[in-house]
Order: sequence, then C-alpha cells, then structure tokens
Amino acid sequence: MTRQRRDPRAEERQQLVAGTLRRRLDRTQRAAVAAPVIAAAPVTVTEAAPRLRVIAEPAYLVAVVPDAPGGRLTPHDRQVIGAARLLADAGGGAVLALVETPSDEFGAAGIDRVLALPVAGYDPEGKAEAVAAVLDGLSLRHALFPDSADGGDLARRVAALSGEALFAGAENLSPKAVTRAARARKAEQRRAPPRLIALAADAVAPHAGTRHEAAMLAFTFPPRAPGAVLAAEFIPADPARVSLAEAEFVVSAGNGISDFDAFRALATALNATPGASRMVCDAGLMPRAAQVGASGTVLTANCYFALGIAGAPQHLQGITGCEHVVAVNTDLHAAMIERAGLAIVADAQQVMPALLRLLAGEDA
Amino acid sequence: MKIVVLLSAGRHRVSGQPAPVPVELQALRLAVELGGEVTVLHAGPELGALADALGHGVGRLIHRVIADGDDPLPSLMAALTDNPPDLILAGRSGQGGEDAGLLPYSLARALGRPILADAAGLSAGPEAGTLAVEQALPRGARRRVVLRLPAIVTVHPAAPAPLPFAFAAMRRGVIESAPGISAPQAVEVEERPYRPRPKLIAKAAAGASAAERLKAATQAAGGGGTLLVDPSPEEAARAILAHLAALGLRRDG
Ligand SMILES: Cc1cc2nc3c(=O)[nH]c(=O)nc-3n(C[C@H](O)[C@H](O)[C@H](O)COP(=O)(O)OP(=O)(O)OC[C@H]3O[C@@H](n4cnc5c(N)ncnc54)[C@H](O)[C@@H]3O)c2cc1C
Ligand SMILES: Nc1ncnc2c1ncn2[C@@H]1O[C@H](COP(=O)(O)O)[C@@H](O)[C@H]1O
Repeated sequence: MTRQRRDPRAEERQQLVAGTLRRRLDRTQRAAVAAPVIAAAPVTVTEAAPRLRVIAEPAYLVAVVPDAPGGRLTPHDRQVIGAARLLADAGGGAVLALVETPSDEFGAAGIDRVLALPVAGYDPEGKAEAVAAVLDGLSLRHALFPDSADGGDLARRVAALSGEALFAGAENLSPKAVTRAARARKAEQRRAPPRLIALAADAVAPHAGTRHEAAMLAFTFPPRAPGAVLAAEFIPADPARVSLAEAEFVVSAGNGISDFDAFRALATALNATPGASRMVCDAGLMPRAAQVGASGTVLTANCYFALGIAGAPQHLQGITGCEHVVAVNTDLHAAMIERAGLAIVADAQQVMPALLRLLAGEDA
Repeated sequence: MKIVVLLSAGRHRVSGQPAPVPVELQALRLAVELGGEVTVLHAGPELGALADALGHGVGRLIHRVIADGDDPLPSLMAALTDNPPDLILAGRSGQGGEDAGLLPYSLARALGRPILADAAGLSAGPEAGTLAVEQALPRGARRRVVLRLPAIVTVHPAAPAPLPFAFAAMRRGVIESAPGISAPQAVEVEERPYRPRPKLIAKAAAGASAAERLKAATQAAGGGGTLLVDPSPEEAARAILAHLAALGLRRDG
C-alpha cells in the first residue's frame, strides 16, 4: 500500500486566511488536505427546524413561574423550564407558564400552555395570590420557581399562602427526588419532589430539541384588595459603583483602541461598566481591576460590548456567561467577531465618536 | 417605634461552631440605626453564642425555651402578640438549620402582616406609620419601596456590616427567658452529609476534540449573529444602539 505523503506547504496554503494584512492560519479547518484546493463554493447549511410537539390531553400540569423581566426569559428561567419538562415528560404532563407578559419565545423554550397573571407594578403579594389561585383552580401537580431574588420571594409567599411544603434552593432534580443543601451547607436534604419547588441557578440543563405550542389558557382570577406596598421605584445600578463581576452591561476596550478618553466617555454615555483586555491592562492604559478574562474577572453580565478585542481563549473564558455580545473589530476573522451576536467589521476608533455623537443627539 | 429582631441559632459557615448569623446582626444594625425600642427574640433550646448579640448594640434579649427540633413558630407568635411591635426584622435565611428562609413568611401569614424581602437600608417613610425600604436586587440595582406598618422585613447581606462588638455592652444587657410552646414537627426529609455537585456548564459532545470542547466552554448558546462588514461609522453606531435597545439596555436613552 502506498501511503500518500503529507505536504505541509499545501496544508498551510489551505489554512491561510485571505484578506488580512498579517499572515494568519486558521488551524480549525479540518478539510481533507489531499484534495486539490478549489475555490470553496459557499455551503448553505439548511438547519432542520425543531419539531413541534403538541400535548393535546395532558395527564397533569406542571407550572413554572419565570421571572421573565419584560417578557424576556433569563437563563435561570430556561433552566427552570428544563426542570419542569423533566417532571412533565415523566408521566405525559404538560408545562404551564404563569407570566405577567407573554412573549413569542416561550414555545421554543419548551412551554405547552401560557396563562397571563393579572399583576400591575410591584405587587408580590398580589402575584402570589394569583399563583395560589391557579395552584388550586387547575390542581397543578407541581409549581416551579427560580430561586432568584424575586422568584424566591414569590415562592415563599405562595408556600405561606397555600400551606404547601416548599423545597427551596433545590440543587438537583429528577422525577424521583430533589436535593438541597442545609445546616450551613454541611448536610444534604433529599425527598420526593413536593408540590412547590424553588430551583437554584445552574442546577438543571435548559430544554432543547423540540418546540412546544405555548397555547394561551384562560382563567378567572379572584378580585384582589390593595396591599401594603404604597409606592415602589426601581433605581438602576450605578455603573461606577457595581463591581465588574456583577455588572449588567460591560463595554470593553482591547488593543485596537488608542483613544481612551473617548472610550471612557462612551462607557459613561452608555451607562455601562468599563472593562479591558489584558493587553490594555498590561500597558497601564486601564486599571488591572478592569481586566476581563481567565486571569481577570469572569463576568456575569447580560451584554458585552467588545471594541478592538481579538478574542483570545483566555479572554473569551471571561465572557462565557454573557448571553449577548456586540463586537467591533477591523479583522473579519477575529474570534470575537465569530462569538458576537452583532458583529461589526469597522474601525472602532471611528465608531466610538459616531456613537458618542448619536447618544449626544438623543439626549439633546 | 418598637422593633423586634429575630435571631436564629446559627453555625459558623466554615467551622460549624455555634455563632450568630451575620445577616441577622446586620438586621440588628438597621434596627438600631432606625431608632426606637429594639428587642431581640429567639426561640430555641439554649442561647449559647446568641448572647453575643447584646454586644452589638441592643439592650434586651427575649428567649423562649423550646425543645430541640420543635417548631419555633408558635412560640414566636405568642411572644409577638403579647406586645406587638411596629416592625419585625429577620434574616434572609438562617445558617445552620433548614436555611430555607421560610420562617418569616409563615410568621407574616400567621400574624396577618405584610412582608417585604431583601432590605439593604431602612428609613422613616414620608408619612407617619410608613417605612421606606431600600430593597437589594441582583447586580447592584435597588428598589425603593414605601410600606405601611406594621410589617415584617427580611434583610439582605448587602446591608451595612454589623455594629462592632462591645464586651461591656454585652455584660450590661438583659436576658429574659421564659418557656415557649412545645410544637414537635414531623421530619419528612432524608438527610446525609453534603456532597458538592458540579455546576452546570456548557457541555460538548463526548469525544469531541480539544478545539470543540474549548468552543463549548467559551461560547454561550446564542442565536445566529448579524454581521456588518465595513459599514460607515454612523451606520454602525445606529445598528449598535438599535441592538442595545432591543435588549432593553437603553432604558434612559
Ligand atoms: C496565562 C494567560 C492568561 C491570560 N489571561 C487573560 C485575561 O484574563 N484576559 C485577557 O484579556 N487576556 C488574557 N491573556 C492574553 C490573551 O491571550 C491575549 O493576548 C489578549 O486577550 C489579547 O488582547 P487584545 O484582543 O486586546 O489584543 P490583540 O490580540 O492585539 O487584538 C487586537 C484586536 O483589535 C483589532 N483592531 C486593531 N485596530 C483596530 C481598530 N482601529 N478598530 C477595531 N479593531 C481593531 C485587531 O484586528 C485585533 O483583532 C492571557 C494570556 C495568557 C498566556
Ligand atoms: N428559632 C428562631 N427564633 C427566632 N428567629 C428565627 C428562628 N428561626 C428562624 N428565625 C428567623 O427567620 C429567618 C429565616 O430563617 P429560616 O427560615 O430558618 O431560614 C432567620 O434569619 C431568623 O431571623
């Protein structure tokens, strides 16, 4: 048998990325090297749309009460829906979402039925009474809550109202058993899933695969007397005071940025917390505390705006948890451009003043 | 104003030794700084390390003695209905017991009082008989809520640190002990030593290459992206602001 000899030069030629000033190789391409290099025709990948699964006659209902600020599901909400699917699919049940504002992403997240709660403004007791009414009225088998600030509060209110046992801070869930930490995290409590469960973050994987119908249900809620909350006003976090690790929105500068006064002005105008890549911190252009990445701060931000950052693995590790990434970079092949939900191949030095002008125009 | 702070029997987070729960001492500070007559209430078999609370700025500690494993709710109820306070402060959750944070809610239900969670600051409300609560939300945000008294408020760890401990103040403090109401509770959970479980992270298919595992660990599950190549700076800026607005990040703009 004659083995074909490797031709390292041909391999390298194939890995060469065209259109950059610097010579660069893309080693993640694993095409057969033996074949002669032809100008690659654009391959159109037709992704099969997820299958719709309809549960017409559910044996029972499992409710989820997501936080869903503004109707948008948080990652924690998606995990709670994943847990509800586990409990529902074990016996032919359906997942019912109890939300303030229904939105169109519920079907893909794995929800069969949606019920709108009649809640206006900040009224946790009113919301708890509505959930307790549904708990009785539709004889739900389980109701699941995210054990977040508002979700955990709601779960405990519903438990006190209905007199049901609540399993708070569940860290592991299966149709047979749930577990939680107790006694200052020295003991683990375990029991069969009770009716009310508040699930800790990052405990169960979100639902993936099938799409569900998210059909609206109707329900008549009992009337409600006004509560003890006389006024409630939301005060957004001051980006100058919150730490990088818990910031909601981070705008970050990399080696592609040279005008740091404009960058700082932009961070202030966008009401974002400033961050930076290691190159920038090493050069002393931003404080070390602003470094994002494996040896800096790992973010929990919802949105990350990267200006002139290449996206080295050590940097990307710091933004694993960020759901939305916006990147501006001159290099089409930068890893950050691939990671971003909105990627802009342009000179960040010119985009920054344009953004500042636009923001100033909005304020005026 | 009459304020009662509920203290539970805590255990130290690391050593497991009996110790007051930090967030309850923070509640004590909020009560002392709000002003008025502050009392501390505990229901349990013995006081132990809780007597230290007297050194953190209060003069009087009420102890209702109940057997180990009894439900503290009836004893606390009785102590609170004898001499009803305007404001009851509790911790967000205990540390060393069930740690579910359910007790303040059951108490609120039993007393028929409203409850508000996660206070990081308290001040007198705009009118008499009201209280302004600064509620801690995730990511450093706050919510300012005006509440009608009487009420129960739980305190968040973001509240100011406890007042420093003073030995002489602890010696001066008064402890009033009285028998509580026995209320044995059924045990329905199985308990075993804690086993830490790995947190959920993005998983790559088994047998994937190193590059694929790295990708799974660094890339969040996101929808397909939009790519703009060489737009004018104005066009790029408009696209960015529209995207941020769609994400709900431009509340004020
Ligand atoms: C052990 C170890 C730990 C590390 N930890 C971290 C860490 O925690 N955090 C971290 O960030 N790094 C870390 N690094 C460094 C990391 O590997 C990269 O070197 C670094 O992230 C690169 O930073 P950068 O993207 O800003 O710079 P560069 O790699 O120089 O990239 C600059 C980018 O800007 C683009 N650009 C240039 N000019 C413009 C322009 N005018 N407009 C728009 N774009 C432009 C370029 O196309 C390029 O993509 C670590 C490295 C090691 C070895
Ligand atoms: N035995 C008790 N006596 C007084 N207060 C308690 C007792 N148990 C719990 N609490 C209060 O209730 C809060 C929540 O406790 P838990 O529900 O046990 O997590 C604690 O922070 C205390 O303020």
